[in-house]
Amino acid sequence: MLETIIYKINKSDFSYFVIKLSLFLFLVFSLDFIIGHTLRYFYFKQQSGLQYEATFAIEKTKANVLIFGSSRACNHYIPSVLEEKLGLTCYNAGRYGSPILYHLAVLKSVLKRYHPKMIILDVNLQEFEKIEGSYDVLSSLLPYYKTHPEMRSIIEMRGKYEKLKLLSGIYPFNSEMLTIAIGNTEMNKKRRDTFDGYIPLRNKWIDPIPDYAFPQDYDVDSNRLQAYKVFINDCKKANVNLYIACSPYLSKNRFKDRSISIAKAIAKKENVPFFDYSNYLPLIKPYLYHDTPHLNQDGARFYSNLVANEILKTSLIKGIR
Amino acid sequence: MLFNSFHFLFFFLVVTSLYFTVPHKWRWLLLLVSSCYFYMAFVPIYILILGITIVIDYFAGISIESAKAKNRKAFLTISLIANISVLCIFKYFNFLNHNFSFLMHGFGLKNPIPYLSILLPIGLSFHTFQAMSYTIEVYRGNQKAERHFGIYSLYVMFYPQLVAGPIERPQNLLHQFREKHRFEYFRVSEGLKLIVWGFFKKLVIADRLAIYVNAVYNNVPHHSGFSLFVATIFFAFQIYCDFSAYSDIAIGLAKVMGFHLMTNFNRPYFARNIAEFWKRWHISLSTWFKDYLYIPLGGNRVPVPRWYFNLFLVFLVSGLWHGANWTYIIWGALNGFYLIFANISQKFRDKFNQSVGLNQVPKISVFVQTTITFTLICFAWIFFRANQVTDAFTIIKKISTLRGPLFIENPSKMIYSLAAIGFLMLIEYKREYYKGRVKFFDNKNWLVRNFSYASLIIIILLFGVFDGGQFIYFQF
Repeated sequence: MLETIIYKINKSDFSYFVIKLSLFLFLVFSLDFIIGHTLRYFYFKQQSGLQYEATFAIEKTKANVLIFGSSRACNHYIPSVLEEKLGLTCYNAGRYGSPILYHLAVLKSVLKRYHPKMIILDVNLQEFEKIEGSYDVLSSLLPYYKTHPEMRSIIEMRGKYEKLKLLSGIYPFNSEMLTIAIGNTEMNKKRRDTFDGYIPLRNKWIDPIPDYAFPQDYDVDSNRLQAYKVFINDCKKANVNLYIACSPYLSKNRFKDRSISIAKAIAKKENVPFFDYSNYLPLIKPYLYHDTPHLNQDGARFYSNLVANEILKTSLIKGIR
Repeated sequence: MLFNSFHFLFFFLVVTSLYFTVPHKWRWLLLLVSSCYFYMAFVPIYILILGITIVIDYFAGISIESAKAKNRKAFLTISLIANISVLCIFKYFNFLNHNFSFLMHGFGLKNPIPYLSILLPIGLSFHTFQAMSYTIEVYRGNQKAERHFGIYSLYVMFYPQLVAGPIERPQNLLHQFREKHRFEYFRVSEGLKLIVWGFFKKLVIADRLAIYVNAVYNNVPHHSGFSLFVATIFFAFQIYCDFSAYSDIAIGLAKVMGFHLMTNFNRPYFARNIAEFWKRWHISLSTWFKDYLYIPLGGNRVPVPRWYFNLFLVFLVSGLWHGANWTYIIWGALNGFYLIFANISQKFRDKFNQSVGLNQVPKISVFVQTTITFTLICFAWIFFRANQVTDAFTIIKKISTLRGPLFIENPSKMIYSLAAIGFLMLIEYKREYYKGRVKFFDNKNWLVRNFSYASLIIIILLFGVFDGGQFIYFQF
């Protein structure tokens, strides 16, 4: 009926096509708007899960000490241990699979709200390696693009059409529907996987210690390197005491990583303490590991105590407490 | 330039708008320039290779047509040698050289021939085969030689099907470049619907499954038999959705401008035997091999042993066409073997079906036949996807035990993968067996029809993988 009326009014195929296409696009944009807003509402309504932890770190925490880093930060730094040792409240803002660019974006949001007293940044081997498609992992920041302008320049590094894609209401929540749904139920709360951002791992490594050969001849990603420098500068400008650490790996092979050498040199130049535990022999014990790059909860407790003691030795801590 | 990129979206909008704006006599030029731009967006220099073969085949076509009987064959041979040489140099040289080195090593000798450090020009096997079909058809007298160099170039370079087919025949495509295509609502909307469906298959299914398949197949020793089994099933759907998505998009793009390209896939996983599978899978290539290799070899009108040899050889060459690796050759040989075995065992299978009464329950019979065919095809896909032959055998060994835990990196992504396969099969099942019933995408009601396509776009936004890679068949 509708089609016949439109066709009679516009006798040419082209006008007919334009009208029908406009109606179709209107339908698509309406659905995108409604579903996008619904997903946004439920995303920020989550009370548990990793997305909730990320939102908490970005928008809510007021902890004195913040931990930044990837999965190794999430699994290696126990806030309760650091709190007890340092006498400061602590929150682990690490996120699985996230690079330095993610940490910088979160830092910018945090500093806009308040200035923590201390930040511990955990860096990985090959942290600055240039990897094609490595900015894809910044997708976890997409839900914050609209409400956090300070993050935009970093999110837009995902690709030159990112701004255009973000016109869609659904796109920031791409592939996240199930996670959002679970985050709005009691399921995650019952599982209790996280403790102030810390995610304990419970397995014990039973195989022999592997002999990994880490690649050394990789190219350095200038954006990642720049993000590291900006991270240090932003902390300095905000008078935040920054500690940088490289937590341990389970490997027989002692290694010298290019990224760690660069990170160390920059930290030294900027007068920032750098704790390199990547080759720390007392921590090369299989029973302390869940898998080769990740400590289990016993290892994390040991390591958190070690870091706290190291911090206590530095002169910076005296001015904070 | 990938179909699944914004770069291509802008390109398509500009080219299509211009196509319906410029006078008919200049449209071939617009399409040719656009196709050159499209091809050069990959590796610009390789357009020269394409250019050389176009020039050779163009003149070969004219020469074949105007030459006397004896010389016609000579010109055809020159054209075929030129095309096959390009394929051999860019696609097979290093593979042959590697195997030669291996052979020399066996005799304790060193191979003095150096390896070539060259990239395989994108879609080389596709446009080479399309060019070869032109000279062969001119030779056979089924096609007049094209005198317009621009239009002949466009036949080889037409951007929708330039890099991954469908491999067209000159009788179907060449004349279409001379026809005046008006903007027709029905045709344009049908083309756009095919494009949306193609994007759905690529982004929601193929690229989603690719994440799991790559994680497992690229690290075979660390994965269990169960994970490898799941990854193999996933790969069957990944490659189908990846390749048929490209074909759908290509056919849709051409349709929008008024061109008709041949159908390339027809729900292959509903095939009841291997022969039927090959009539439904990559139809443009299967028919190419049938017309230009199988039938000239004698087809099935020869003594039985020779017929089996013909079948085996065609599939062996088909495997080699896909890639310069033993994995593809074994995959081709396996499919050839399947067909021969199916012919040999036909009588026995008929007897068996009769004795167990399977042929009296058609629905169960269809189900059993489809499942067996799918299983055989999946088994062959192991060789197609494995990085090395040794990997393929490790995978088969591990799958045969079906032991170990299932690798699940992210439970929700696994659920998306399974749901995507389920959704695809539901739609294909309906199209295969209940074509006229419960219409959503072809519903007469405008709102239902458009809501169905709008939902498809919403599903793409919700579950599509936007950081996925290029189409698998680009490498061929």
